[in-house]
Parts: sequence; C-alpha cells; structure tokens
Amino acid sequence: MYSGRRVGYLIAAAVIALLPLIFQDSYWRTNLTVCAITVMLAIGLDFILGYAGQLNLGHCAFYGIGAYASTLLITRLGVPFWIAFACAIALAGAAGMALAMFAVRLRGHYLAIASLAFAVIVHQVLLNWISLTQGPLGIYGIRPPPPIALPGLPVISFANAGNMFYLVAGFALLFYFLLDQILRSPIGEALTAIREDEVSAASFGINCAGWKVFAFGIGSAVAGAAGAFYASLVGTLVPDAFIITESFTILAMVIVGGMATLLGPVCGAILLTVLPELLRGFGDLRLVLYGAALTLVVLFMPGGMAQAARLIRPRLPGVRAKLLHDRAA
Amino acid sequence: MLAVAVQQAINGVVFGSLYVLVALGLTLIYGVLVQINFAHADIVTIGAFAAYFFTYTLGGNYVASIGVALLIGAALGWLINASIFAPLRERGSELLPLIATIGVSVLLQNAMLLWFGPIPYSFDSPYSNQVIRLPGGTFITLQNLIIIAVSTVTIALLYGFMRFTFMGKALRAVAQDRETAGLMGINPNAVIMLTFVIASALAGMGGAMLGPILVLTPFAGTSVIVKAFAIVIIGGFGNVEGTVIAGLLVGLIESYTTQFINPGLTDIVVFTLLLAVLALRPTGLIAEKREENV
Amino acid sequence: MTVLPEIAAAPAEPLFRAEGLHKRFGGVHAVRDLSLTISRAAIFAIIGPNGAGKSTLLNLMSGLYAPDAGRMTFDGRDLSAMPAHRRARLGLARTFQKIRLFRHLSVLANVLAALHIHHAIPAWQYVFNGRAFARDHARAREQAMKLLAFVGLEQRAAALAASLPYGEQRMLELARALATAPRLLLVDEPAAGLNAAEVERLIERIRLLRERGMTVIVVEHNMDLVMEIADRVLVMDYGQYLFEGIPAEVQANPAVIAAYLGA
Repeated sequence: MYSGRRVGYLIAAAVIALLPLIFQDSYWRTNLTVCAITVMLAIGLDFILGYAGQLNLGHCAFYGIGAYASTLLITRLGVPFWIAFACAIALAGAAGMALAMFAVRLRGHYLAIASLAFAVIVHQVLLNWISLTQGPLGIYGIRPPPPIALPGLPVISFANAGNMFYLVAGFALLFYFLLDQILRSPIGEALTAIREDEVSAASFGINCAGWKVFAFGIGSAVAGAAGAFYASLVGTLVPDAFIITESFTILAMVIVGGMATLLGPVCGAILLTVLPELLRGFGDLRLVLYGAALTLVVLFMPGGMAQAARLIRPRLPGVRAKLLHDRAA
Repeated sequence: MLAVAVQQAINGVVFGSLYVLVALGLTLIYGVLVQINFAHADIVTIGAFAAYFFTYTLGGNYVASIGVALLIGAALGWLINASIFAPLRERGSELLPLIATIGVSVLLQNAMLLWFGPIPYSFDSPYSNQVIRLPGGTFITLQNLIIIAVSTVTIALLYGFMRFTFMGKALRAVAQDRETAGLMGINPNAVIMLTFVIASALAGMGGAMLGPILVLTPFAGTSVIVKAFAIVIIGGFGNVEGTVIAGLLVGLIESYTTQFINPGLTDIVVFTLLLAVLALRPTGLIAEKREENV
Repeated sequence: MTVLPEIAAAPAEPLFRAEGLHKRFGGVHAVRDLSLTISRAAIFAIIGPNGAGKSTLLNLMSGLYAPDAGRMTFDGRDLSAMPAHRRARLGLARTFQKIRLFRHLSVLANVLAALHIHHAIPAWQYVFNGRAFARDHARAREQAMKLLAFVGLEQRAAALAASLPYGEQRMLELARALATAPRLLLVDEPAAGLNAAEVERLIERIRLLRERGMTVIVVEHNMDLVMEIADRVLVMDYGQYLFEGIPAEVQANPAVIAAYLGA
C-alpha cells in the first residue's frame, strides 16, 4: 500500500485510541460512538451516491432494517450477538440489492422517488406491524454486545462507553478500509465510469445494472451494520428513529463532506455531528443548520469540504486528477 | 353500507382534488425543466400557515386568505427558481438541483418548527362546520364543497390557459423542446419562471384549503408531498390530464383504505401502487421519446 | 495480450449481418427496412444526408436501441436481446458522435476505465491486493499507454480529459474504443471538427486497423475521407437503403446525387 495511505490509517487508529482518554465522561463517549455510527452511514451512502452516482434517498430504511433485524433475532430467537450482527448486515445488503434490482432501470429522479417510497413503506411497516416490532412503543432493554473474555486479560465489557466506542469506531475504520480498497480497484473504476456516463461505460463492456446493484448492496450492508450497533448502543428502538429525515441528514453529510471522495463524507459526518453539540442550547437549530449547509454547499461548493481542501492546498488537484490507479510507485 | 361508500367517495374526491392542485405544480415544473422541487411541500405548509395567520391574527376573510396564500406561494416559487434552479441550470447536473431543494425543504420545515412549534394549530374556517345534507344519508361540509369548487375552477382555468393562450402554448413548447422553442422567439427562462410561479401559487392555494382539514403542523406538507410524488409518477411526469386522474384515484384509494382496511396502512397502499407503476412503466436510460443525440 | 489484436485470417462468412431493421420514435421512422452485410477486415462507410438515420443505425448495432423489427448477427451470434455491454465483450466497440469522455478524469484514467473487460484478478485480491492485482495493474497501465501512443496522446496521459482540445478529445474517444480489443469498430463521425492534418492522421490509423484485421464501420459526412479509405459505401436516405457499392460507383450514382442535392 502506498506509504502515505498507510500513515493515514495509522493516524486514524491512533486518534481512535486516544479519544476516550481525552473524553472521560460517558456522555461524550456515547456521542463519539454515535459519530462513528454516522460515519458508517455516510460512507455507505457515499459508495452508492458519490461513486455509482445513484441518488438513494432510502438509506435510512436499511439502517432501520439492520437495527430491527439484529434486535429481533437476539430478543426473540436468542441468537448470539455476532451472528445476529452478521445476519443484519446480510439482510440489509439483500434489501438494498432488491431495491436496486427494481430501480436499476429508472432514470435519476425516478430512482430517487422510488427509494423514497421504499423508505416510507419500511417505516410504515415497522410502525404498524405491532406483533413483530411493538410499533411506536418500541423495543426496550436491548443489551450491548456480550463481553469478550480473552485468556490472561481482564474481561472487556461493552457496557463501558469507552470500550463500546473502540468497538464501533474500529468497525467504522474497518469498513472504510474495505470500501477504500474496493474503490481503488477496477471495481472502483467501473463505478466511476457508471457515474460519469453510463452509455459509454456500457460500450466498454461494463454491466451498469449489475454494478449498481452491487453498490447498493455494499452501501446498504454497511448501513445495516450501523443499525445493529445503534440498537445495542442506545438500548431502545423505535420506528421513528428511521424516518426519511434521517436519509436527508446523511445526504447532507455526504454532500457537505464531498461526495467524490471517501474521506470527505467522513469529515462531513464528523463535522455535522459535532457542530450541534458545540452549539449547545441550539438543539432545534441542528436540522436548520443541516438544511442550510446542504443547500449552500450545493449552490456554491458542490464538491464540499474536499473541494475546499483542494482550493487551500493547490497541489492536491494534480494528485486527484489521476485516478485511483495512479500511485507514486 | 352504500351510504358509507358514497361518503368516502366524497371525502376521496375532496382530498383528491387538493392532491391534484399540489401535484399539478410538480408535474408542470418537471415538464418544463425536467427537475423536481422538493421544497414544493413546504410551500403548501407555508400557504396553510399564511392563511391561518391572515384569518386569525389579522382577522381577514377566509376566502381572501386563500388568495393571500396564493400570492405568497407565487413569491416563494419565484424565489426558489431564481436562487436555485436558474443558477444551477448552467452546471447541467441532473441531480444537484433536487439535492439543493432537499436542503431547502429541511431548512424550511425546521425553521417553521422553531417558529411555530410542533403543536398542531386548529385551523377552523367559518365553513368547516356548516353541513349540507345530501340524499342517501351522506353529507358534505361547506368547506369541502368550497374545496371541490375552487379546485375544479382552478384546474379548468389552468387547462384552458395551457390549451388556448399563447403563454400556455409557449409553456408546452418549452416542455417539448427547449432549444427549438428558444429559436422560435420564446424566452425559455421567462417561461420557466412563469411555470414556477404558477406551480407554487397552486401549492400555496392548496395549503390554504388543506389547513382546515389536515393537522396543521410544520410537517403538514410532507404528508402531502410524498403522495403528490406518487400521483405525478402514476399519472406521468409532465402529463396534466394524467395527474388529474391519478390525483382523484389516490384520494379515493386513501379514503377507502382508511375506512375499510386500516388508516395506518394508507401510505403503504399508495406507495406500493407507486412502485408497481414504476415496475411496469420504467423509463429507460435514454428516454426514447426524446431522441437523445448520442 | 497485445493492444491491437492481430485478427486471424478471416473465414469467408461475413462478420456482421443485419436484416430488415426497423426503428421508430413516435411518428418518426428513423430506420426503415434496412439490411446490410459487412465482410471482415474492411472499411465500410455509411453516408447520407442529415437525418438519414445513420446514427440510429449505429445505435441499433451497438445495442443502445432495440429494433422494432429485424435481426442482427455478429460473427454468427444472434444479437437480439443482447445488451450493449455484452456486445462489447463479444468484440463490438464504438465511438460516439457527441463526445462522451469522462471529463473529470485524466486521459489515462479514461483509457484505463475502458480496459474493464481485460482484468484478471481473483475476487479476494480486490480487497487484499496480492501479486495478481499488482501484475494486472501494471499490465493495464502498459496497455493504456500503448493505446494512447497509437493515437498520439501519450504525452497527455496526466492531463484532465476536459482540458484537451477538441481534436485530441476525439482521438481519446478512439483510444478508449480500441481498449476493448474489438473485431468490429463503429466510428460515428470521427472527423467532425478535425482540421486537415488531424483528418490525415485519422485516415492513417483507420487503415492501420484494417491491416491488423479489424473491421471498421465509419459514419461520415466528410466525403474526401470516405472516398479515400472506404472499401464499400452504403448510402442511406430517410432511414432507408438507397445505394451500396464501391466509392467510385457511389459518386457517379444519380440517385445519390439527387438525395444530397435535395431534389
């Protein structure tokens, strides 16, 4: 791996390791964990929107499917956490692929609305299928992942907010790595080609429909993982956590961060999660800020923070202009 | 039993005609610009609140408040086109304007939430409680009658405008082929702006009439917009007659689902219908009707 | 795998055959009852007045549009219901009349994207890059540079595609189409917007492709180009077959002259 990237990953790992030492109270640690979950959602959506170019407004549905699937498997069928986690990922990914297979022939706006309709249907099902989900009353008392006991070490309990952060942030970094590797491979080239121009992409033998389904599957699977972690972090699960406003929030993070890169949405997610916390007392202003940020970024700096970074460091365009393959080696 | 069915039919037509007003705006904009204004819903909500405050705070006449809402809607439409769609037109991106309007929608909704609070406002027009008895044991409130009347007249006027006036024909020309319309001396930008103003005026007006019969919160528009999307897709983007039929259809389906199945399931039914329509009539990559120069 | 395949000596059977193709858009009959036969290792030109349906024909051949009626076979394989991306894998490539480069990517990246079908990497190495990945990566770059050299763009590999002058953009289009190593190449108005020197270079390269055994179908308005390189010419008018023959015959044919002069 390019040494610059290796350093980047090490820095990220170091930051993750240090954060709970800086923020010792569980309120902030929980916030950081929520931030990590949001990062997962953002990179998942970025894979679909920023790379495959599909405006998926239904991302929150897969988040919800992951959360409810893992929770129900654990509470109703007594499935062990990590197996339920894997199932949640698989189910969310499969649902994403199903939506994509349906929507793949649709032009941009139609796909956006179809995904929106799908999200509304999922939310309404979660709300109304009371025998399964307990509807608006929600599911309570969801436990964190089971403690891990390694020989010779103290038991790692995830009721501890710091440990929970390490777990979730660690997975976020892992998912980032996996997506990054995929995007730097010929698969990433194919997705970029599809985003840039599907007609010529097809003329090169790229199966546009197939790869779009793939992108939806991967992005939705990551959202499902985020959902599973969310449920076990927050302890209670209500359908209204997955209304379509959530999709718009994640969309704002991806766009503000810069959807043509993978790192941009990470920054966007962190910024838009942390900023309202800093502006405490303006809790209700949070969504107003998101809306304003989204609109202004699209109008004035559509490349988001990544574009802004390029303007500040003019050397970057030369590097960015070369595709994924062009490494210094 | 029959009386109930007829009653629900009447309710369905009432809601349906309001949905048509809102959906017509969306379909007009799409026809002329091939773009979706996601904030359309919020114009509906703002129209409702404008009518509310005009009636209650300023003590104005309810029917006049519909006019006020219309004007405010028109102004908002002008503003949104001028600040978002027109500047982004040069960039040529298909999806960016939609994303920008999603931002506007989130902004407006939550700004209204801060301003007006989440508690529903009870908006009673003076006509909400006047009931007219109809044969067969059914009834209709005067409010609903006004809604049907105003909607019908508006739709008819719009139809006449599109068919018989120069501006209306210019609108259809720009929808069909913007470049050629431009070459024939029609200013497409002016036509697009006019379309926006008309569409948003319709939305505002719809809001003013919806206010008394819906739960008036900052999110009132959202419940309507997603149905409006469904209607526009079922009826066909840009197709005015189709939108009217689809709107009434959705109103009726909603009404009957509420009465005979389960009120919580209306959204699921309507959206499943939407997805079914998309499944059967998808638009291809290159919309073969508008032959793209490849 | 070489960049420009040395195509084996041709069997006698024609490479491409179309029978009775029809395509309408609403009221417009873009292509009407068109049949043609393309032999191997040849340059076949399609000409006709504007609106004659030439580009529609190319779109039907490459799979962008589905015909309302008629059949097409490529190397004996029936193309009905075969989507565009599979035809590319079969050996059918094309350029576009309206330039469709990936504008935000570099010149090199554009060609690399077009090499999609040649990658040979085991699935797991897409994530955990091993030796096969590195080999494939190096080979792809090498092939891409060779293709760029063929069209004379090797110096511009790092430039942004949108920054190229028009003539070079057209050559990049050609390089991308060649990346799939096609046996049949459809070129849609390759000389549009090129100056005389650029047209000369283009002619050279198309001839070179034919020598290597490729079949090239050229839709063109530039008559000098057509007369110079075409082995056979098909003339279309109003979506229909008007005439087919060698260039000299076409030039002399009264019906063709009438169609162009708009009699």
